[in-house]
Amino acid sequence: MLKINDLHASIADNDIIKGLTLSVKAGEVHAIMGPNGAGKSTFGYALTGRDNYEITQGSATLDGQDLLDLEVEERAAAGLFLAFQYPVEIPGVSNMEFLKVSVDAQRSGRNLAALSSSDFLKRAKSACKQVNLPLSFLKRGVNEGFSGGEKKRNEIMQMILLEPKLSILDESDSGLDIDALKVVADGINSQRDGKRSYIVITHYQRLLDYIKPDFVHVLADGKIVKSGGPELALELESEGYSWLESYDRNAQEENV
Amino acid sequence: MSNWLAQAITEAEQVNDWLSPKRESSLALLKKSPWPNRQTEAWKYTPINVIERTKFEPANDTFHHTSDIPNLNAIDLVFFNGIFDAQASTSALPAGLSISALADGASQTWALESFNKIKPKRHFFGLINDALATQGCIIDVACGAVIEQPIRIAQGFSSGSQSHTRVLMRLGESAKAVVVEQLQGDALCLNTSFAEYQIADKAHLEHYRLAMQSGEAISIGGCHFHLGEASQLESNLIGFGSQLSRVDMDIIHSGEHSNAKLNVIYLLDGKELFDLHSAIEHTKPNGVSEQNVRCIVADRANAIFNGRIHIHRDAQKILAQMNNRNLLLSENAQINTKPELEIYADDVRCAHGATIAQIDEEAMFYLQSRGISRVDAQVLLSFGFINELVDLMNNSAIADWLRPILRQRFANMEIQ
Repeated sequence: MLKINDLHASIADNDIIKGLTLSVKAGEVHAIMGPNGAGKSTFGYALTGRDNYEITQGSATLDGQDLLDLEVEERAAAGLFLAFQYPVEIPGVSNMEFLKVSVDAQRSGRNLAALSSSDFLKRAKSACKQVNLPLSFLKRGVNEGFSGGEKKRNEIMQMILLEPKLSILDESDSGLDIDALKVVADGINSQRDGKRSYIVITHYQRLLDYIKPDFVHVLADGKIVKSGGPELALELESEGYSWLESYDRNAQEENV
Repeated sequence: MSNWLAQAITEAEQVNDWLSPKRESSLALLKKSPWPNRQTEAWKYTPINVIERTKFEPANDTFHHTSDIPNLNAIDLVFFNGIFDAQASTSALPAGLSISALADGASQTWALESFNKIKPKRHFFGLINDALATQGCIIDVACGAVIEQPIRIAQGFSSGSQSHTRVLMRLGESAKAVVVEQLQGDALCLNTSFAEYQIADKAHLEHYRLAMQSGEAISIGGCHFHLGEASQLESNLIGFGSQLSRVDMDIIHSGEHSNAKLNVIYLLDGKELFDLHSAIEHTKPNGVSEQNVRCIVADRANAIFNGRIHIHRDAQKILAQMNNRNLLLSENAQINTKPELEIYADDVRCAHGATIAQIDEEAMFYLQSRGISRVDAQVLLSFGFINELVDLMNNSAIADWLRPILRQRFANMEIQ
């Protein structure tokens, strides 16, 4: 499904992603962990095409389609979704309207017939209930005055409605209490149908107790430095990232 | 002297009605006033030579309705080219409300007294309106009366018309009412439309001015409010620009504990111009005023906002806020915004801010990442910027009517 090969990305001429290679197959869940500043969020932004995140080298395809040539909205229509670490507040634009315009745009991008208003409303209400947000949140401004946890749940609601092929969840667990974490995890698990894939970016093993990953990768200094199964997350939880320093030393020695 | 002004003065000299004793001083002042030009501070960014240049043909009398506002269920006062249309207007009035055409106001001594009492003399076209407005309406709300039905003053204009209308309203003590001034028409015409509102102690006025003349229209007017003790005003101004659109708003707090909110939306496109001069006078202590002015300008349009707050020496404990936010959608659009604070009391809180920005790129990316094209996202964001103030409107019929109109206007805007 997603194939990323030797991806390099920079912000204002600072190289952040330095040769990232990752392959995600249909239905898989990959967790990306790593210390602060490793480039985890940059990876999400670069892949979705945010301005000022320049891809300097490498390739990324989704079901064979070259993502890097596409506009931000075309990548979304191609099936890419990013759940933001810090969702943006947009006062004056109701959540409902935002969701409707998004769904309409993506369906039209995928050559699907537009949903009738009543169909859409039904789906929106059900998604809203699923992430345990009161229906009144559909009428409020996008993320306006939402708590941190409500914002994260709103991201998952969007994911449920947009039905992306590949979702990148950027620290969707940060700042959540255990109940909210379960709601977010359940929202994601409900969407696991063996076809749709997920990249879960997180600092903590905790989320992975609820969302079982197939693979765990450690991102450090813009590269994946270690990959393994779920047990790798447990290892990181107990040992932290200090071993990376020795890893770096070893790497340097190897280069010498 | 300008030809147009000379002619207006000649016409004014012919006017002879019950308001004539009040018109005299304005006419005298008008004769002494120079025709405003770019050196006139109040007209610095708004050229009015178009009035000189324009040759007004005889008015086209094809009736031009203003748009219906569904579910408003209003008491309608309908004007066409400045002339009251009794037939199209509502005749049955609820208890506590009396309305008459300006021309029939001779018996109302309060109206004669209050004519020109609230509107400051400095407004040049206000003087013209003083001298020439023989049409309009007089609205009187009895003390304690709560008029649930909004009173809509709907003015339509057709090409060639020149008209001058005046609204005089008295809201008795503890009374409550909603007034909607709706002006509409895009043809070349000229009108001055001024309104004076006397809001007695503890009274509450919810006010809308839908200044939606566009295209070639030349529309100049003002709303002037006099606030008694513990009275409340919530005023909303929607400005669509036209060849020349100017509104002056004066909110005069003359009782303690009065509270005024003014929310303003401008939406300008093409070569349209809209100029708002607001002046908040706090003459007594413990007053609150809040202004939110939001403006979107596209293409080569021109927005002007001059916001004055004047806090008098003895007006302590005033809370005055003025916030002006502007969104520029094109490099050729222009915004001139100027706060003017004159504060003589020492124990007040007065905040003001003005920003001119382009679209928020973070929000833009968020929307695009959900599959929304840049153009559609721009429309959504611009609409949201304005809709925040629409959401604050008390009257949901007006808000619901306005939203699709605003959305349509955005959709047509030139985005660069």
